[in-house]
Amino acid sequence: MHIIELIFSPLLALLIGVFFLGLARKVMARIQWRYGPPVTQPLIDIIRLLSQKSASHGVAFNIGLVMSLAGSLVITLFLPFGKIAPMSNSGGMLVILYLMLIGPLGMAISSGESANPNASIGISRKLLLAMGYELPFLLVVLALMTAYNTTSITEIVSLQRDTGWSMFTFPLVLSGIAYLLILPAMLGVRPFEVVNAPQEISSGPLVEYGGPYLALATLQHALAFFIGISLFVNLMWGGAANPVIFFLKMLVVFFLGIFVNAVFPRLRIDQAIRYLWRWPSLIAFAGLILVCVTGS
Amino acid sequence: MDRNQLKKWFQNPVKMAHKYSLHVVYFCTGCGIIEIPPSITARWDAERFGIIPVATPRQASLFIIAGYVSLKTLRSIIRTYEQMPEPKFTVSLGSCPINGGMYYDSYNTIKHLEKYIPVDGMIAGCMPRPEAIFVGVTHLWTLIDKDMADGYKRYRSNYSAYRANQEKILGKLEWPPLFPIHGEE
Repeated sequence: MHIIELIFSPLLALLIGVFFLGLARKVMARIQWRYGPPVTQPLIDIIRLLSQKSASHGVAFNIGLVMSLAGSLVITLFLPFGKIAPMSNSGGMLVILYLMLIGPLGMAISSGESANPNASIGISRKLLLAMGYELPFLLVVLALMTAYNTTSITEIVSLQRDTGWSMFTFPLVLSGIAYLLILPAMLGVRPFEVVNAPQEISSGPLVEYGGPYLALATLQHALAFFIGISLFVNLMWGGAANPVIFFLKMLVVFFLGIFVNAVFPRLRIDQAIRYLWRWPSLIAFAGLILVCVTGS
Repeated sequence: MDRNQLKKWFQNPVKMAHKYSLHVVYFCTGCGIIEIPPSITARWDAERFGIIPVATPRQASLFIIAGYVSLKTLRSIIRTYEQMPEPKFTVSLGSCPINGGMYYDSYNTIKHLEKYIPVDGMIAGCMPRPEAIFVGVTHLWTLIDKDMADGYKRYRSNYSAYRANQEKILGKLEWPPLFPIHGEE
């Protein structure tokens, strides 16, 4: 049973991530009064990309891409999806915090090898943006760990089952608001879509990716989307005992993200950093102090 | 349109995926590019057929050359075309890439685009309306279905002729040949 879960949960994450990509395109189209592509469109794209031949740009290009994809696949083992939680008893939040860096880092190594100036700009923006949202995110996670007195993500989820969603329990309200404010940056949707800006820097780090490489990069993007939403639901919206309920909660968060994506223009990277280090960080810091003062 | 026929998907998923996931590089120096924004935005919405603009030739599978081609842009067109991963399709838009159009006697524009890169389909008109682009794309689907959109194969097999034509009009090319050139010795 355990082995089935180990194999099943990354596949489920991939499936849901790709479904989210397709749904995002459809929902964006409907918001813009277009008909939009079918929900299966990313799958069609991936089939086409896998069948094309493309140039590799060196050994680090391939290794970085595989590393990034593997890092994202491993995180899905540690994230509980409803009851499906193959490895979440070991490690917990700290492992997730470490592993979350592997995805961007792998992409940075990989696209750095492609030696395109647009890719370099994209990587520097990606790492700057990561620096921007990691600070409030770490403060939020610290507040959660202090409040629940544990670092295990399954325990955080099961404790929320007794006390209600941590976003709506008293000392964690501020942390919840801060997390909601940085969520678009963590998902990389539009006000913070500075990394893959197609109109400015020719889709950033992905500029030299074609064919199967782009297919793997798309899968990595889908997984990153899944991980961002799943982490938020687990930490703030109480997770779920049932995978179906968990999926519905993820859908709600996903729609929030897409609506934000649809109505906001893109920030510059300096505006994004200024925003991320001002309001979400201040609120998260206030939340941490609140938890420490009111804590047992 | 046979996108919803599951039988075809199981028979030949690669061909079907090539048909319904055309990522396009629009070459925006000619006047034809003004017809592209209506076709990809809310009025005609090309994305419902999976056709979206991409920013780099590496990610693309369809190359639309919109309008006249001057000598300077021909250089970029050839480089962009050679960077696209195979299988790749080219469609030219407007009269100018077909026979020179209103620039038939210009010293600085080329008259026949298909001498320099293989073109799978040509949409005539000055300029063609966005509907004509959709008609062109449906024709391209038919060609892909019948394996007749084989421009990239022609480019590979006749590369020495194409390269000779390119060098004839552009002078010495500063990039190495994409494929081995036959009969050079």
